[in-house]
Amino acid sequence: MTYILQLVTAGLAVGSVYALIAIGIVLIYKCSGVVNFAQGAFVMMGAYLTFAASRLGLPPVLAVTLALVLMAGIGVLAERVVLRPMLKAPVVAVMMVTLGMLIMIRASCLAVWGPDPLAFPRIFPDGALELFGVFITYNYLTAGVLSILLSLGFLGFYRFTAVGLMQRCAADNPRAALAIGIHTSNQVSLAWAMSAGLAGVGGTLLATLNGLSLGLADIGLIAFPVIVLGGLTSLGGALVAGLLLGLLQSFTDGLLSPMIEDLLRAHTRIYSVGALQQVVPYALLVAVLLLRPQGIFGRKGSERL
Amino acid sequence: MLAVNDVFAVYDGAITALEQVSLSIGPGSLVALLGPNGAGKTTLLKAIVGMLPFERGEVTAGDILFEGASVRGCHPAVVSRRGIALVQDGRQCFRELSIAENLRAASLVSRQGAADRFEMVLHYFPFLKEMLDRPAGVLSGGQLQMLVIGMAIMSKPKLLMLDEPSLGLSPVMVQSVFDVVERLHREAGLTVIVAEQTVPRLLKLATDVYVVSRGRIVMHAPPSEMTEERLQRIYLN
Ligand SMILES: Nc1ncnc2c1ncn2[C@@H]1O[C@H](COP(=O)(O)OP(=O)(O)OP(=O)(O)O)[C@@H](O)[C@H]1O
Ligand SMILES: [Mg+2]
Repeated sequence: MTYILQLVTAGLAVGSVYALIAIGIVLIYKCSGVVNFAQGAFVMMGAYLTFAASRLGLPPVLAVTLALVLMAGIGVLAERVVLRPMLKAPVVAVMMVTLGMLIMIRASCLAVWGPDPLAFPRIFPDGALELFGVFITYNYLTAGVLSILLSLGFLGFYRFTAVGLMQRCAADNPRAALAIGIHTSNQVSLAWAMSAGLAGVGGTLLATLNGLSLGLADIGLIAFPVIVLGGLTSLGGALVAGLLLGLLQSFTDGLLSPMIEDLLRAHTRIYSVGALQQVVPYALLVAVLLLRPQGIFGRKGSERL
Repeated sequence: MLAVNDVFAVYDGAITALEQVSLSIGPGSLVALLGPNGAGKTTLLKAIVGMLPFERGEVTAGDILFEGASVRGCHPAVVSRRGIALVQDGRQCFRELSIAENLRAASLVSRQGAADRFEMVLHYFPFLKEMLDRPAGVLSGGQLQMLVIGMAIMSKPKLLMLDEPSLGLSPVMVQSVFDVVERLHREAGLTVIVAEQTVPRLLKLATDVYVVSRGRIVMHAPPSEMTEERLQRIYLN
């Protein structure tokens, strides 16, 4: 039982970081109709920028904040310089361009910081908390709590503030938004800024858990099951789906994989199914797409991938 | 109040949609802007509020003055803040947002007195009161038309422009839409432009009539001289 709880806490902690990243993807999709394949690159870059900032001697809070601001700037730049000229281009072409951005950003990070994993500065204190026999390291605890707070804070901002309302108007009907005096293009830039900023913080948190490497960009792919579960148009759906995915991975890793490995060891010469954790989300993705093409939380008629 | 001087407008840099269009609209008037399909009514209204650039269109010559200052080339947000509201064709609203949020969003350009204007909208459209928390997407065509007029009111306009508000509505609905337009004109003192193909009711209300055809103003007359037959002749020409 304790073991299950242990898996649940770990899963929720990682899942909440996924949620933060997925919310950014949904935000961009709602506002510009584009699935941003570069989100994973924003995640990775945010982590590298935090790393660089703390190398300069900045305290953790300032380093993360600086990275967030820089990432927001990069988000705006990506939208203004790369995407806006493509306003009239087919959506598929625009998505290919975001894929190009992923490759470019990855290559730049490779050039600056090299291919090897780096030791990420310790941002949160060492040690663990014990609650009802469940251990959770401060790393996981802070990453989880911070992500949840940021996600909920963002959802609240989107739902209840004037700027959030303008965001939703621009996403719902740009023509109508324009007519009531909303600068729709500024809203799109803002969506990219916020999305890249959230991704950057998410990247930093992931790096505190798993270390800093170019592999962080792969999270962009992990986010897709989250999106498909959530249905691409629902921010709340992205949040829930992120948590679900975290749980799923944690249980695959902690329960399913050892069980299958035992089975395989008894009957075959295969010893490890370490990659199962990576496979399960995608198997689930296919299953969801087959059963509910609009996602679990998406409405009928929302666009499919 | 509004002066459109020799305006030319094109789409895609080539297709001419307005040719030397001039209008002069005094405060407190209710202007009928009539014309057949494709005449250029929508283009003219969008030119006034600065929305053409967002439809690959452009005002290429002439000037548009509102209260003495040029609004040509201004962003729709700026024009809206100056006090011109356009109720677009197609009843453009935010279908996923609640009716209350639709109205609130429309008041963001000039928040001062928004609460009073909200009361005013509910006064003109009492049926909205029970539906404030429902998404705008559930409204019928006639109700939507009322909502988008309500949204225009929320933006505190001095000049209210409506693009074919009667399109696709039942005669009874058209009647109530024009009732509201008349009351907004008479009670709230708004200057109004209504673009339509033909609505006898509109001719009765209007203080001034312009007829557009193929991108040009082909007639400007007081409504008393404007009969259905005359209009038909222009349309068939
Ligand atoms: N986005 C556009 N791109 C190219 N041409 C356009 C565009 N919008 C309108 N036009 C052209 O401009 C001309 C005027 O169109 P407009 O929509 O202003 O007419 P209208 O009087 O509003 O007609 P209707 O009563 O059908 O709404 C038409 O010939 C139309 O084909
Ligand atoms: Mg029209």
